[in-house]
Amino acid sequence: MTTARFDELIHPATRLSLVATLAAADWAEFAYLRDRLGLSDSALSKQLATLEEAGYVATERRLEGRRHKLRARLTAAGRSAFEGHVAALEEIVAAAGLATG
Amino acid sequence: MDPVASQDAGEALAAVAHARRQVAEEIGLPRGYWWAMAAGWVVLGVIGEFGPSWLVIVATVLFGAGHAALASRLLDGRRGSDGVRVSAAVAGHRTPYVVVGMLVLLVALTVAAALLIDADGAGHAALWAAVVVAAVVGFGGPEILRTLRRWVRA
Repeated sequence: MTTARFDELIHPATRLSLVATLAAADWAEFAYLRDRLGLSDSALSKQLATLEEAGYVATERRLEGRRHKLRARLTAAGRSAFEGHVAALEEIVAAAGLATG
Repeated sequence: MDPVASQDAGEALAAVAHARRQVAEEIGLPRGYWWAMAAGWVVLGVIGEFGPSWLVIVATVLFGAGHAALASRLLDGRRGSDGVRVSAAVAGHRTPYVVVGMLVLLVALTVAAALLIDADGAGHAALWAAVVVAAVVGFGGPEILRTLRRWVRA
């Protein structure tokens, strides 16, 4: 059972899309996230750093061929916070529907 | 409830659904799988056309065994892209059935094409049918799988 909890850290649009993308995946590479979210390298790095600092995201640098690739994944705390945030959003929408309906 | 807040929440939920759909678009099998399948199809066609019947049986069993070994790792559809590993929850559990169904259809298509080519009087009907279907698998495998998944809502 997910407890609804609005998360101010996740809610900004770019960060929410980033976390939602990671929530649908086991992991995603930096280039994939940058391309899908339409962010610059620096903007994505900043968002990932913020989420990593909060313990929501873990990153790992992997050597593939001669290139280092960065992989990001949602931590258990990040997944829980995301699910709680989505539940909170659903409650807000449902409550608004009741109020107007 | 502040109406702006509820509208904002609705838009946020739409963004979450969009992100999930984008990741789900990556469900599939690696390109290499389809080309290996196409190569196997041609090899089986060549053996079927020119080889003795015992070799056809051995090759078919080896092809099946090789596919089964790959299948356990790949058929869940979560390794379609190098850039992301789709979560099991998003990938669902129907993709392997869709892939196997697609392979059965392709076998039927190969047999039908061979019968048509043979009826037309052309030589090496089994080989030509295998080459045609191999081209379909190699060039169009990912797209066919994507379409079939959409049809069966997998």
